[in-house]
Amino acid sequence: MSIQDITLSDAFQIRYTEASDETFLREWLFSKQTIQWFSVSDEAEVEEMAKIWISYSRFKCSLTATYQGIPCGIATLFLMPYVKLIHQSMVYLVVDPKLQRKKVGTALIRNLDHLAANYFKLERMHYEVFGPNPLIELLQKLGYHKQFTQQRYVKDKEGYLSRTVLEKVFKA
Amino acid sequence: MKDPVTLRVSIEEDKPFLANWLTDPDVLPWFPLNNAREIEDAVKIWVGYKEQGSAFTACYDGIPCGMAVVYLQRYKKLKHQALFAIILDKNFRGKGIGSRLIEHLKKVGKEQFGLEILHLEVYEGNPAKNLYDRLGFQEYGRQPFFLKEPLGVYRTKINMQLELK
Repeated sequence: MSIQDITLSDAFQIRYTEASDETFLREWLFSKQTIQWFSVSDEAEVEEMAKIWISYSRFKCSLTATYQGIPCGIATLFLMPYVKLIHQSMVYLVVDPKLQRKKVGTALIRNLDHLAANYFKLERMHYEVFGPNPLIELLQKLGYHKQFTQQRYVKDKEGYLSRTVLEKVFKA
Repeated sequence: MKDPVTLRVSIEEDKPFLANWLTDPDVLPWFPLNNAREIEDAVKIWVGYKEQGSAFTACYDGIPCGMAVVYLQRYKKLKHQALFAIILDKNFRGKGIGSRLIEHLKKVGKEQFGLEILHLEVYEGNPAKNLYDRLGFQEYGRQPFFLKEPLGVYRTKINMQLELK
């Protein structure tokens, strides 16, 4: 079995996120390859973000991809706290940098779309993507469209990155 | 003649004023809040920014008549920009108090917090958008169907921002 097609293998599975996945999440977020696409920039910030992120798992709105039983990606609905906003949600997604471009992200996005539309009855979902993150292209392939781009949203040593919000509509 | 309007950092005692303004049925449609619990929660977060010196209250003859808050970002990569919110007692609209509050946010935002960009979210139909247009805020994106009233009416969220030069 090739690692190229792990989404077709029995060793690849998707399950609800568990609190113990936080260690993996922190490790992925802190990697050089990943941190450039997130708003966090040091260990303390990564820890804070990972804690908030994993806390959503108690609502069963977060999915973890595993390969050979080891977590390799997480996608989470950041459910809205106010009644007037609960028909839509922002999504956060991260894939283990060692297993990117193996369709883990695709599987997570598709499964989370399904969970959002059928279980949470969401009408629309949003991803917030910074800079020229290749996630934009993947989301567009999977039916998301660019809603708007806000320039200079992120600022780091290299300069500014934009924020692009992509949307998928489940119920018009 | 003494100016009856003063601006200061918000204090704990301003909370009931803010809750009262948000509860007004003419105001509530322009906020994503729906009930007393949500309003209480939002008031707590809003006034909580007084600890960082970024929640402000306008008073008319010493009585609160409007408030504004800059939601300072927690992460370093985002600290150069911030979202803000503003609300006025409806009996004090049209007196330039909203403009003064926003001008104050711009000044403090740049000088005290090092902000380069102030941005806001306003729901389509809110007359406050005229004020934001007048003060130079530029629209950068719309999100149709972002807010859904309990009776099923949807509202478009308009995102605007201003560079603090």
